Amino acid sequence: MSASPSANMGCMDEFLVATGLTKSFDGVQVVESVSFTVHAKEIFGLLGPNGAGKTTTIRMLSTVLGPDEGDVTVDGHSVGRESDAVRRLIGVCPQELALYPELSATDNLVFFGRMAGLSGKEAKERAADVLERVGLTERAKDAVRKYSGGMKRRVNIAIALMSRPRLLFLDEPTVGIDPQSRNHIFDTVLALRDEGMSVLYTTHYMEEADRLCDRIGVMDAGRIIALGTPTELKAQIGDPGATTLEEVFLSLTGRSLRD
Amino acid sequence: MRLLLRQALLLSVKDTRLFFRDRFALGFALLFPILFIVAFSLALGDIGPEDEQLRMAVATEEEGGFSRQVIDALTATDATGVDEWDPQDAEQAVREGSLPGYVLFPADFTQRMFGGGSTVVRITDSEGGEQTVRLTGEDSGARILVVTADGDPETEAILGGLARSIAGRIGTLSLAARGVIELEGFTALDLARLGELGAAPPSIVFTTEQVGDVEPFNASNFTLPGYLTMFVFFAAALGAEAIARERQTQTLERLLANGVRRSSIVAGKMLASLYRGFLQLAFLWVLGIFAFSIDFGESPAAVIVVSVFMAVASSAFGVMLAALVHTVKSASSAAVLASLTLAPLGGCWWPLFITPDWMQALGRLTPHGWANDAFNKLMLFGAEGQDVLVNMLALALFAAGFLVIAVARFRTVSAN
Repeated sequence: MSASPSANMGCMDEFLVATGLTKSFDGVQVVESVSFTVHAKEIFGLLGPNGAGKTTTIRMLSTVLGPDEGDVTVDGHSVGRESDAVRRLIGVCPQELALYPELSATDNLVFFGRMAGLSGKEAKERAADVLERVGLTERAKDAVRKYSGGMKRRVNIAIALMSRPRLLFLDEPTVGIDPQSRNHIFDTVLALRDEGMSVLYTTHYMEEADRLCDRIGVMDAGRIIALGTPTELKAQIGDPGATTLEEVFLSLTGRSLRD
Repeated sequence: MRLLLRQALLLSVKDTRLFFRDRFALGFALLFPILFIVAFSLALGDIGPEDEQLRMAVATEEEGGFSRQVIDALTATDATGVDEWDPQDAEQAVREGSLPGYVLFPADFTQRMFGGGSTVVRITDSEGGEQTVRLTGEDSGARILVVTADGDPETEAILGGLARSIAGRIGTLSLAARGVIELEGFTALDLARLGELGAAPPSIVFTTEQVGDVEPFNASNFTLPGYLTMFVFFAAALGAEAIARERQTQTLERLLANGVRRSSIVAGKMLASLYRGFLQLAFLWVLGIFAFSIDFGESPAAVIVVSVFMAVASSAFGVMLAALVHTVKSASSAAVLASLTLAPLGGCWWPLFITPDWMQALGRLTPHGWANDAFNKLMLFGAEGQDVLVNMLALALFAAGFLVIAVARFRTVSAN
């Protein structure tokens, strides 16, 4: 059984440090002076309503987008100046199913592994390991389009694990899947953290964040508006034992519709 | 550089695998063009015989003689499409441009034919060209050699029609001329002996020698390269849709975060499109040779080289389109719109050389136009490789231009 979030709070090495990240598109500022850290061996939750700027922030953290202002370091390497070094340290699981449905799970994993620089043999061996971890060994040779939604989500995560990253970005990895697959993903994420991986996790499901995350940053309108452990955040509005994270979230971001 | 190439190759191989698994894409790229080529080859295939029914002028400087028999036979029915002209009038009409050309039997035609020597038939055309037809009984018999005049396709069609008429009529005249003309190595004595035995005389060999730029008309020589060009560009343009979809599903973003260079992604996408283009070219050219009897003309290598330039330009075009559009839907719309606009403008549906000057000028603004112009020159007008060097250069410039835009504007991240 994986350790609970609180069991890891003693580890405070800063693995990712984001400082004053700002990004605009067509004159509209979507991320404004965002600063936070992700510690080593920590699951950091980034929560926020739709359009809060979470995905743009992840894109800047993962070298895909350059910030207009600010910088990010991953294990001491600047994302702006040492992007190649950073890319060797990270794995990204985007919000969309960023895979090729016509190919098998193995072929998808081998392709992304080889694109990351693995040899064919290494990529095949690692694909087998990763598929076993996400519980897809038996269906490894089937085309992904034949998979259920949950299985596709697991392949999506598996691809991010091919490069054996030290920091994993999971952007809403459990959208639209059944409880069994969701639980399997939770167990996988906790196991990865226990093995020493740092995880930056975004989600709309508050109970998910409560269960998984060691610390949480709440974003709204492009800014970080709250930062702390789930217990600390709950304490801001009431008794931590009687307050849910959803109540905290609604209290911080308001009840008006965003879409 | 090595990393870039490795990543581009891996990406292109993956895209090619996906292409072979996509039945619609495969059918669209390879089978759909065949429907068009078959339909339009059949539709345009009747144009040739119709042209051959156009009126043709013949004249003789002889009073009576063997040329008179030939002309009387040719003009006996309307079907032959031959009008007899006075030699001076015909010459004047050609000079004025009101007559495309005429065939003239010289004053010594019969004398020379009957004397077993050789004679000539002059064919004059309005371009000022004057070709001679040598009729000889000296060597291998009465071989009639019709030399078609240099000039436009219509003149060639008229002369071709006349040539066929002469061939048909000479066959019936050969009995009358037996003993006078040597046929296919048979002497008059041989013919007489054959006549006594009741055997039919051997047919006269009729040979058409092309000295100008016009080949006998095979509609597929135009329709196949036209639709090949259209569908190579169309398939490449539709590739933009796949790239836009990858952008939307964040696979390009994932590749970038995985350490893949943006330039590798552009190169890989272009390579994959190029493989598809080469596959289309190989499949449709081979099909054209065996199923439609197309002729690569005097310089088959030049046809291949032009095809390669065309495929490169189409690949760059597809990637450029992907770089310019934002969504999958807009990629599809742009691909269809661009393909259905550029194809007719560029002479894929009808030959540009039959269109007005302004339309030919418009065609020059499209890569399709340069490709089709080269294919038409090589496959219809007997041009050599050096005659289409400008076309190759134009296609290379189009490819370079498209690529510059593609590289400058290519985005891996969706705008959402």
